[in-house]
Amino acid sequence: MLNIQSIREINPKILILGNYPVIQSILDYDYLSGKKEPSIIAIITSGKNYQKYFFGTQQILIPTFRDINKLPPSLCQQINLSLNVLSNRRVLNSTQEILQKLPNLIGSVIFAENLPEKHSINLYHLAQKSHTWILGPSSIGLLVPKKLKLGVIGGIEARQFLQSNLLTNGDTAVLSASGGMTGELMSILAKSTRGLSFALSFGGDRFPILTPKEAFLAAQADPQTKSIIYYGELGGYDEYEIIELLKTKQLTKEVICYIGGAIAALFPQSPQFGHAKAMAKNDQETAQAKQAALKAAGAKVGETFSEFVELINSNKHEKIKADINSNIQTMIDQITQRKEPLITTSISADVGGQPTLLGEPLLDFARHNSFPSIVGSLFLGKKLISKDTENFIDIVLKLAVDHGPYVSGAINTIITARAGRDLVSSLAAGLLTIGPRFGGATNEAADHWLTGVTQNIQPAAFVEQLAKQGRRISGIGHKKYRIDQPDPRVKLLMDHTKDLTDKRFTNYALEIEKLTTAKKGNLILNVDGTIACVMLDILSEKEKLTDEKLGQLVSAEFFNAIFVLSRSVGFIAHFLDQKRLDEGLFRMPEDLVSNIKSSTED
Amino acid sequence: MARAKLSEFKAKQLLSHTLKIPFFGQQIKSEKLDNISLAEQSSHSSQTKQPYVLKVDQGIKGRFKKGLVVVNKQLDELSNIINDWQNKRFTQFYLEPYIPHETSSEKYISIERIRSGLKVLYSPHGGINIEDNSQSIHEVILSYNSDNKLALEHISSTLDLPADALADLLVAFEDNYFSFLEINPLLVHDNTLNILDAAVEVDSTAEYFVNNAWSRKDFTDYSLQVKTPEEVAVSELAEHSTAAFNLTVLNPNGNLFMLLSGGGASIVLADEAYNQGYGEAIANYGENSGSPTTEEAYLYTKQLLSLIKKSTAVKKVLIIAGGVANFTDVRKTFAGVIQALEEEKTNLLQQQMKIFVRRGGPHQIEGLALMRDFLSQNNLLGEVDGPEMILTDVVNKALAYIKK
Repeated sequence: MLNIQSIREINPKILILGNYPVIQSILDYDYLSGKKEPSIIAIITSGKNYQKYFFGTQQILIPTFRDINKLPPSLCQQINLSLNVLSNRRVLNSTQEILQKLPNLIGSVIFAENLPEKHSINLYHLAQKSHTWILGPSSIGLLVPKKLKLGVIGGIEARQFLQSNLLTNGDTAVLSASGGMTGELMSILAKSTRGLSFALSFGGDRFPILTPKEAFLAAQADPQTKSIIYYGELGGYDEYEIIELLKTKQLTKEVICYIGGAIAALFPQSPQFGHAKAMAKNDQETAQAKQAALKAAGAKVGETFSEFVELINSNKHEKIKADINSNIQTMIDQITQRKEPLITTSISADVGGQPTLLGEPLLDFARHNSFPSIVGSLFLGKKLISKDTENFIDIVLKLAVDHGPYVSGAINTIITARAGRDLVSSLAAGLLTIGPRFGGATNEAADHWLTGVTQNIQPAAFVEQLAKQGRRISGIGHKKYRIDQPDPRVKLLMDHTKDLTDKRFTNYALEIEKLTTAKKGNLILNVDGTIACVMLDILSEKEKLTDEKLGQLVSAEFFNAIFVLSRSVGFIAHFLDQKRLDEGLFRMPEDLVSNIKSSTED
Repeated sequence: MARAKLSEFKAKQLLSHTLKIPFFGQQIKSEKLDNISLAEQSSHSSQTKQPYVLKVDQGIKGRFKKGLVVVNKQLDELSNIINDWQNKRFTQFYLEPYIPHETSSEKYISIERIRSGLKVLYSPHGGINIEDNSQSIHEVILSYNSDNKLALEHISSTLDLPADALADLLVAFEDNYFSFLEINPLLVHDNTLNILDAAVEVDSTAEYFVNNAWSRKDFTDYSLQVKTPEEVAVSELAEHSTAAFNLTVLNPNGNLFMLLSGGGASIVLADEAYNQGYGEAIANYGENSGSPTTEEAYLYTKQLLSLIKKSTAVKKVLIIAGGVANFTDVRKTFAGVIQALEEEKTNLLQQQMKIFVRRGGPHQIEGLALMRDFLSQNNLLGEVDGPEMILTDVVNKALAYIKK
C-alpha cells in the first residue's frame, strides 16, 4: 500500500535497474533539497564497477553490479526503493527478483512502455502479496517535495525543479495517467496559489500495477494533502472505481479532474490514442461519459481544459510560501556549469600545496605507516585494516626483490645498461620483459584459485580441464624443488596463514598440488602460486574484500603489482652494478648462436 | 501499441495447433490473386466436390449479417464472390472447408484477460444470434490465485467440452499472449472441437515473447485501412524507434494541422479544437513522445508537411505543441522540426501558413528561442510560448487566426 507520509519519514535508499540519464537528475534533486548525501546507492547495469555522477559540484562514484544477485547483502538490506528503467523485455524478471531479494523494499517504479498486460497483472498480484507498491508500467514516477524524486518526474534539468516549484511542500496532490500531463499539471500548480503535496503518474496502460483507485486512497490517507488534481483519459473503467470511492465517502477530499479524449467522437471508430488504455470500446468508456459520472458523484470536472485550469486556480488560500534555500539560483547555476572531469582518482591530491594520500596529509601518512603498509593501501585504494596484510606484503616485497642475473628481465636491464643507456631506459627494458612467461605467473595463479573456489570446481576437474586445453597451471611446478625437497620460501610464506580461519584459496591450491605432485614430484605449489593463494585469503578474510572485488583485482593485475614494484629494486641494482663495474657493450658470441636453414617445405 | 486483432486465419491456425485439431484453412490476399486460381490455392483438397466457407478476414464485426461470409459453396462459385468483395475494397479473405451441422448444436465461449484473472462467458446456445440468448450466457472468472476446479468443471459440462480441450484452450490463450478470444459458433462432436468462427485479440506488446507464433503482420488493421503514404511512413518510423509516433488523417483537406508531443497532452490539445466546435477543421491527429532524436523529429515533421502541402484548404495553421516534458529535450526535437520546416519554407509561405508553438521541458529556453528566430525570419510566426501560457491557449490562438 502506498503511504506518502511514511515516505516523508524514511531515508530513501534507491536501487536503479538499468542505465538512463534520469540518475543525475535525481541526485541534483537530492542536492537542491538540501540533502547531505545522495539517495541512490547502487545501480544494476553492465560495464564498469562504478559510474561517475555529481552530487552538487562534487563528483561521486555509485557502485554498479551486473545483476541483482551480485548485490552485497549489506546493500540488499539498505535498499528501500527502486527505479526500473530496463527495457520491457526485462521488466518482469528483474521486478520479480527485487521483490524476492530486497527485504526492506517498499516500492518501485517501472519506466518501460509496452509491457505485456500479462506481465503487469502478474506483477500486480505479486505486489499485493508482498505489500509493496509498484508504479507503472510506463510511469514517470513519484515525487514527494524535498524528499524523493523516483523517476524522470519533474524533469531532468535542475532549473525545471525551480520553474515548477518542486522544492516546496504544499497541499495538493497530482495524479495522472499521462507522464507528460503530470509535468504540465505541476507547472500549472506552480503558477497557482497552491503547492504540491506529492505527484505520481500510474501510466496509461490498461492494467496499471498501482491502480488509480489505490493512488486516490493514498492521497486521501495523506495528512498533508487537501486537494487532488487528476488527469484521466478515455478507455477502461478506472474512473468508475473512483466514483465508487466518492459515493461511499471513502474519498472525501476535493477532487478536480479532466478526462481527455472527447475528440474520439470525431473518428468513425474510436481510435487507439497514444496510451494503451486510451480507446473507448463502448459508451461508458468515453471521455464524455466519465466526465458526467464524475460530476454526478461530486468531483469538480473541467469540461474544457481552460475550465479545468480555472478550477485549479479558484482557490482562496494565500500563495504558498516558497521554502527554498536562498542560494538556490547560485546552486543551480553551479550545477548547470559543472564540467565532466578528465581524470578521476581516489588515490591522492595536491591542492593548495597540501599533498594528501587517501585523503590524509602525506606527512601524517608517512609518519604513521610503514612502506609495505603504504604500498598495500595505495594499491588497494583504501587503508589496510589488518597488520597481517602489511606483514605479508612486507615478506613478498622482500622475497621477490631479485632472483639473479639469469632471468629475462635482469638480462635485458644489464644489456641495456651496457649499451650506455640511462637508468630509466635500462629499468624500463627490464620491466617491459614482464609478461605471461616471466614474472606474470602470480596474477594468473590468483585467477586459477579464485575461479576454482568461487565456481565450486572440484580440484580434479580443474586439473583435468587445463590438461585438456594443453595449458600449464600457473603457480605449480619448480625446476629444482620437489615434494620431498620443499622450497623454504614457500614455507615462509605459508607461515602467514596461521592466523587465518578460513583458508579456502590456500586449501584449494594445496588440493591441486596433491593431484599434480602425485603425477610428478616437482609439480609443487611454487612461490608465485603461494603468494597468490595466501594473498587471496588475507584480502578476503582480513581486508573483507568480496569475491567480486577479488575478481576485479585479478582483472587489474593487482597480484603482479607487488612483484613489479619489488623487482624494480633488483633491476635498478643490476643497472647500478653494471655502471660501477664499467662493463662494455654486450655482443653475443657467434658460437652461442645457431644458424639453421629456413625450411623450404611448407 | 495495445490490443490488436489477429486475422481469423492466424487465430485458427494457433488454436488448432495447441488443440491438435487438423487445420485446412487458407489465407487469400488480393494482391496475390491475379495469377493463382482458387483451385490451385486449394490443392490440398482431394475431394472435388468439397464445399467451402469463404469470409472477409479483416477484423470486421458482424460479418454474417453484412454479407461478408458465404457458406456451403463450391470452389468454382467463389471467384465471383471474391471479385465482388474486392470491388468493395476488401483485400484479405479466409477459406476453409464447410462443415455441415445443426444450428442448434452451436455453442459460445469467450475469454478476456482482466486484472483478477480470465473472464469466461459461455453458453450452450451460440451462433449469430447469441445476443438474443443472453439469459443463457454464464459468466465466471478464472482467478490467478486459485485452481478454479469447480468453474472449469461447469464450463466443461455446460459446453460438453472435454476437460483436456478446455485446458488446451487456456494454454493457447496464455502462451500466445491473447487478451481476448471469442469462439462462436463452437461445435463439439465426439469429444473433438470444431471452431467455426474465432476472433482473437493479442497483446501487441508481447510480440517479442511469442517466438514468432504471430507478428504484427497478422493484425487485421494492418491490412484493413487504406492508409495515406504519410501514415504508413510514420508507422514505419515508429516500428524502428524507442520513441512513439503516430499519425491519423482526419480530414485531408482540413486547415488545422497539429504536431503534438506527449500521449496525454496531444489528446488535450486535440480535444480543445473539438470542444471549440472546430472538429471539421482538424486535418490530423498524431503525437510523438518518449524523447525522439533530432533525426526522428525531422522525419516525423516531413510527413506532416507532406499532408499540409496536399490539403486544398486555403488558410492553414500548424500547431506545434505539448505539455511540460519531463525528459524529452525541447532543443533537440525542435532542431529536427526546424530542419524539416526549412526545406519547405517557400511552399509554406505561399500557402499563407502560420505556425503556433507552445512547449515546455528540458532546454525549453533554448528550444523556444531557436523556433521563434526561425519562424520570424521566415514570416511563418504565429506565436511562440512556453509553459507560462495555458496549454490549450495555443489552439485558441491558432483558431483565431483561421477565423480572421
